[in-house]
Amino acid sequence: MLWLPQSGVMRVSDFLKFMQMNLDSAVLATGQHLYLSFGSILLGMMIAIPLGIWLTDKEKLAEKFLAATAIIQTVPGLAFLGLFLPIMGIGVLPSMTVLFLYSLLPILRNTYTGIKGVSPALVEAGKGMGMNPFQLLVMVKLPIAFPVIIAGVRIASVYIVSWATLAAFIGGGGLGDPILTGIQTADINFILMGAIPAALLALFAGWFLGMIEKMVTPRGLRG
Amino acid sequence: MVKFKNVVKNYGNHIAVKNLSLEIPEGELVVLIGPSGCGKTTTLKMVNRLIEPSSGSIYIRDRNVMDLNPVALRREIGYVIQQIGLFPNMTIEQNIDVVPRLLGWPTEQRKRRVFELMEMVGMEPEVYAPRYPAELSGGQQQRIGVLRALAAEPPLILMDEPFGALDPIARESLQDELKSLQERLNKTTIFVTHDMDEALKLADRVVVMNQGEVVQVATPEELLRKPANEFVASFIGKDRLNVDSLQSVTQIMLPNPVTVTPQLGLAEGLALMKRRKVDTVLVVNEQRKLIGSVSAETLDREHKRAKAVGEIVPYEPPLVTINRQASAKEAFDLIIREKLKYLPVIDDNEELVGLVTRNSIVDALASAVWGDEGE
Repeated sequence: MLWLPQSGVMRVSDFLKFMQMNLDSAVLATGQHLYLSFGSILLGMMIAIPLGIWLTDKEKLAEKFLAATAIIQTVPGLAFLGLFLPIMGIGVLPSMTVLFLYSLLPILRNTYTGIKGVSPALVEAGKGMGMNPFQLLVMVKLPIAFPVIIAGVRIASVYIVSWATLAAFIGGGGLGDPILTGIQTADINFILMGAIPAALLALFAGWFLGMIEKMVTPRGLRG
Repeated sequence: MVKFKNVVKNYGNHIAVKNLSLEIPEGELVVLIGPSGCGKTTTLKMVNRLIEPSSGSIYIRDRNVMDLNPVALRREIGYVIQQIGLFPNMTIEQNIDVVPRLLGWPTEQRKRRVFELMEMVGMEPEVYAPRYPAELSGGQQQRIGVLRALAAEPPLILMDEPFGALDPIARESLQDELKSLQERLNKTTIFVTHDMDEALKLADRVVVMNQGEVVQVATPEELLRKPANEFVASFIGKDRLNVDSLQSVTQIMLPNPVTVTPQLGLAEGLALMKRRKVDTVLVVNEQRKLIGSVSAETLDREHKRAKAVGEIVPYEPPLVTINRQASAKEAFDLIIREKLKYLPVIDDNEELVGLVTRNSIVDALASAVWGDEGE
């Protein structure tokens, strides 16, 4: 049982009954939420991984890119949505754009440092044996850096999934919708209907990508 | 096979290699040696264009390397580096296989080649081929590093201090192995090291470099017999030929021989000798003044008549000693002339300083000739 300021005592059984009645909208919100967060992560990977690879031999430029993505990271989520409102209006697209921008930093940074972290001796050995830059990347650098890159994706996923609840403020839908409704009507049931699946999704994303991280670690590099 | 013609490499004002000309005949193992910063590694890396010369030209079988595609060029040259550089994400088989794979050899042929190479150095392919580099010792890893360089049967092999990071035992055995491989395969090899012992052991020809220039090119034999100048002599001879440096008897003695006091019981004395594995101990008093010596034999013979070690010292033959100011030569002469097994060293107050034995002489000579590494 939980004590709440307005509704007094709340029973778990009441919440379960509420969920049964609203299952459809809960499922819909979860689906939207998945679409929003993983869509932006995927977009982030598609941009940040190639960018990170491309930047590895351009140290000066890489610093600038990393600083820029770090600045994006410091803008509070809500403020960011507000800033995009006049430019992109409301809906899914501006929400995804903001989430995508947030996913850039960890993925870009981990790709860059992962590849930079490959021992210079290995790079010299590969080069000295006649690998061209592409072969060196595919045969040596990427396999060794891959676990670090996936770790970046995992970090990004875990917080993008929870930040995606903010999308509700600009009509992006997702699990933020019931939370917002709950806050406006002071109904804990609605808040939990959004918060519990969002938390579970974040946990699941972390676990799932952790598994992938282990899977992609080359056998010779496992401790 | 490889010809350097007026090769210069400079980084801004710093000149790494000055006007180097050198010819390396087919099938020879040539060692480039010199102190760090002498340009030996730079010279090596210009051959496979990991470093590009500032001016001059390098020819491999009369082809100027600057006219060749660097990637194709490197696939024709074996390359072994000091840090070994096996790819941790690949198995041993895949590591040895890298260049044949880049060259597009058929799978069957590649596998046969890997197995053949591993058998050549006595590493069972069935056991080691599927392993990862991290599962091998440093010595085994570099053995694979050498096989990897040989895999595509390159006519030329470059080795950049390949055994520098290994422990002395692994280094020694890899040197032996390289030597026997070289005798069988006759690959032209350029080998960089700063270790003169390694150079003398492996080289058909040694190229001594200093400050970016070649100082002397010679066979190991010539190099030892006729070093071109003071620099070469000091570089070879640092620890090699300075037996003259053994001046004082104190340099050839054991500083802490086994001693007992006269009051020690006989049984304890015997036990001590057994424990320290000696057949004689020196007897000193509390001021460390040398009184005499006692052998296990005497101890055993007299154990009914005496209780303490001091009582049986007089039964021993008189002790020959030498003063610490004496030279090592005098100690040698004395030991030979008197057929001594050992010679205690004392100071002016007859206090014990150390003990010269035949073993301690051999040790001192060995470290004078080969340096202190053996200890």
